[in-house]
Amino acid sequence: MISLAARDILHAWGKFVFTGIGLGLLIGVTLTMAGVYRGMVDDARVLLDNSGADLWVVQKDTLGPYAESSSIYDDVWRGVRGMPGVARAANVTYLTMQVRLGDHDVRSMVSGIATGEPGTPGWPPQLVAGRQITRGHYEAVADIATGFKLGDRLQIRRNHYTVVGLTRRMVSSNGDPMVFIPLKDAQEAQFLKDNDAILQQRRRTAENPVYNPPGIPGMLDGVIAAQSTNPFVNAVLVQVAPGSRPDEVAEGIRRWKRLTVYTRGQMEDILVGKLIATSAKQIGMFLVILAVVSAAIVAFIIYTLTLGKIREIAVLKLIGTRNTTIAGMILQQAVALGLIGFVVGKIAATFGAPYFPKHVLLLPRDSFAGLLAVVVICVLSSIVAIRAAIKVDPAEAVGG
Amino acid sequence: MDGKGIGITGLKKRYGRGDTAVDALKGVDMEVAPGEVVGLIGPSGSGKSTLLKCLGAVIEPTSGRMRLGAEVIYDDGWKVKDIRALRRDRIGFVFQAPYLIPFLDVTDNVALPSMLAGVANAEARQRAVELLQALDVGHRARAMPSQLSGGEQQRVAIARGLVNQPPVILADEPTAPLDSERALAVIRILNEMARKFETAIIVVTHDEKIIPTFKRIYHIRDGVTYEEEGEGRGFE
Amino acid sequence: MKWPAMQKRTLALLAVLLPLAVLFLYVALTSGPLAPVPVIAGTVENRSIAPALFGIGTIEARFRYRIGPTFAGRVQRLEVDVGDQVQGGQVIGEMDPVDLDDRLRAMDAAQKRAEAQLREAEVRNDHARKEAHRYQLAFRERSVSEEIAAAKQQENLVTEEGLKAAREELSRIVAERQAVKALRTDLKLVAPVGGLVVSREGEPGTTVVAGQVVVEMIDPASVWVDVRFDQITAQGLKAGLPARILLRSQENRVLTGRILRVEPLADAVTEETLAKVIFDELPEPLPPIGELTEVTVSLPTLPEGPVIPNAALQRSDGQLGVWQVAGGKLRFTQVVLGSADLDGRVQVRQGLQAGDRIVVYSEKALSARSRIKVVEHLSGVEP
Repeated sequence: MISLAARDILHAWGKFVFTGIGLGLLIGVTLTMAGVYRGMVDDARVLLDNSGADLWVVQKDTLGPYAESSSIYDDVWRGVRGMPGVARAANVTYLTMQVRLGDHDVRSMVSGIATGEPGTPGWPPQLVAGRQITRGHYEAVADIATGFKLGDRLQIRRNHYTVVGLTRRMVSSNGDPMVFIPLKDAQEAQFLKDNDAILQQRRRTAENPVYNPPGIPGMLDGVIAAQSTNPFVNAVLVQVAPGSRPDEVAEGIRRWKRLTVYTRGQMEDILVGKLIATSAKQIGMFLVILAVVSAAIVAFIIYTLTLGKIREIAVLKLIGTRNTTIAGMILQQAVALGLIGFVVGKIAATFGAPYFPKHVLLLPRDSFAGLLAVVVICVLSSIVAIRAAIKVDPAEAVGG
Repeated sequence: MDGKGIGITGLKKRYGRGDTAVDALKGVDMEVAPGEVVGLIGPSGSGKSTLLKCLGAVIEPTSGRMRLGAEVIYDDGWKVKDIRALRRDRIGFVFQAPYLIPFLDVTDNVALPSMLAGVANAEARQRAVELLQALDVGHRARAMPSQLSGGEQQRVAIARGLVNQPPVILADEPTAPLDSERALAVIRILNEMARKFETAIIVVTHDEKIIPTFKRIYHIRDGVTYEEEGEGRGFE
Repeated sequence: MKWPAMQKRTLALLAVLLPLAVLFLYVALTSGPLAPVPVIAGTVENRSIAPALFGIGTIEARFRYRIGPTFAGRVQRLEVDVGDQVQGGQVIGEMDPVDLDDRLRAMDAAQKRAEAQLREAEVRNDHARKEAHRYQLAFRERSVSEEIAAAKQQENLVTEEGLKAAREELSRIVAERQAVKALRTDLKLVAPVGGLVVSREGEPGTTVVAGQVVVEMIDPASVWVDVRFDQITAQGLKAGLPARILLRSQENRVLTGRILRVEPLADAVTEETLAKVIFDELPEPLPPIGELTEVTVSLPTLPEGPVIPNAALQRSDGQLGVWQVAGGKLRFTQVVLGSADLDGRVQVRQGLQAGDRIVVYSEKALSARSRIKVVEHLSGVEP
């Protein structure tokens, strides 16, 4: 017995392949959509991975530093460092802002990292070019997605920073690429207003008799100095000593330092469960819609293809073809169409993914699920066509 | 007759029930011997199509008796289990239009009923090619149906009807789309095939060109057949 | 199949489907977790490095003279303005004397009166002494009673003490007058040394309290840089080391200097070590006081040793080390680091030998299970 489905496909391969490619693009969009969701989750995860921390010490009762703003004194780390089970503790600041290069700017998350050696919590774990920061000021390591190059002079607030290193996949949970600068500069950048604002603030302070009482020279200077320092950071990143359990160390800090501490798992819950929950649902809705649309299109295509062959099917039945053979033919065609579509979609999604502004992560697991879904959708949508084919009366082939 | 060919007696077919019931066939008798080509002629609405469908085991008659070869296949109810196999193996169809499967080439179109019957592909194809050669379309064996002329297509359709060497072939207006020369050629082929494969062939037609070629003609009118001697011209 | 008509069609279909299948395989194998991580490998070099320290400083003057009145008063005149050069001892302004002159005149009068009183006491004393002498002689001749002679003697002694009091009163008045006079002179604000006026805080008419600065001046020759080094990276900082100084206003001009001293007191709040850097040669024009500078201090060149780029350093399971490439396999090697220079080179004390192959750059964080592919260029990075 020959394969009727294969022969039909061979006969009309152009139509078939192009339909498959069209379907493939739709599947590609669906896979990309799933990839966008995975990318968002991955963005959150890499943010946590790249920080190199086991624990996040943040302002009491906040969900900081990523999901909410958090600010703690920059000497809190010393006390945290002294807690049992803490191997390393480092200050860190995060500030999402426009980083200027020449006359264009790039939205990025500027992270202030504590002085130290590579491997300190908060430092970019790996580079793709250049070197890590060695000077305590005015050097930057940028994610390659910012478009900056080695040697570029960035402007963050009023200071210029030289890009000395490039890294990859260092993004905020929003997918904004990160720029790492020394902590002290970052504290200043976080606090520093423009010169005009500073001037006005000084004037206001000077005009306030409380801060500038007659007869006490020098008080104003002290007040202004106090106003223009920023002793805050957003979080302390903690690495736990080998052999200590992060939960226990976190509990100790919570209890004795009266700060909020998150472990890796809790942080992931916050980022994935709270920060991107709505976006994830949004994408989930789109996925459902795309799946329904894909199913409808496959069903429509298969149904149309079958209706176009009603006469042939009648003849086939008349000359004694079994219903199962005909159903099999339609089913095989639907699945073949789905497979072509899947292959095209997978290829399109993979090649298209790097061009998306945000990270699109295509997991083999998703692809596999996508393949299963495509096959199931094809099988289900061929049911309509199969029903139509089975209802064809062989008598139709015999005229009038 | 001698238990070959096809024979029907008192075949009735009623569509619908009660007051609206229509009796399409009111007791048809027909006997076609192997190797014989008979004409079945009647106006529209005479029950011609219904008779053809009953003969082709496409629809079920209401009552009567049908014999195919030595076997009674219908006696107030089907006597064979697998109607589809019956259609596939023992009845050949030739239609007004060739109705070839467009996605199969000529050989496979002809070989398909054989393959459906479980004959190995190679064997079925070989039989098909032989048949096509016998029908003078052997040179188009590898072509697709769409590449053939109308006459060639009809010959391929005849080959398909013959491939399982059925005891009976039902031809429904096989010459309608053809000019008289080709129509006569088709009839000649049917006669040759009938003789060669010992097949009973019933040709439903109202094509004036070919009516004179039948030796025996069944007229059907209002669900009743009348047998008539034909002129039987042209092929002796 | 042996059917040419089929074959053509089949070939056409294969021509479309085969590349698709090949692409699909390629896509499946080169993306996702199955794909090897592209890395750039480097070799541990044996070389010497010149470590350096980097700090941020501000231009400051070593000597700042804050000149103001010693008592509350009103500024009468100021003769210098910001930017003026002044000589040592030059009068640069004056406070309003208000009633000082009147008080001086009162003191003059008081002095004259005291002088008159002194003379009066002298006259009295002279007369009393003569009387006492005469009565003494008369008593000796028994012409007066002893009582009278003793009374005159006592009178003489009293006037002598009155004379002493009048003298002391005069010196008091004189001293007082001199004090007022000195005050009158101190109204002048005088430059203690030659220098540059850097600020003028009061204008004529302003009332200032004692000790409030009216004019601030510096000695331009004493300009230095107050530099702050992060304590973590301040190892090896000591006086005498050469420094390169970059002014924020003149980024292309490198000034040279050296560390004058490292402050014994560090900044505990900012975790910085403070140091003073002086210029080898004063920049001309003088940079404004308070300008931001970047200071790079060169430490002595270290002897040769295994050196790696700091980009290669990773932390895995809490240990600092590098990914060593051996026969296409990854191995994490712990290292003990020595000094580093500012160009990102780090000496390795333990763990690596010169010539070892290590991963310098990678597209993803590596783990011991990572498959790697050593490449020349990473995608997206301009060579």
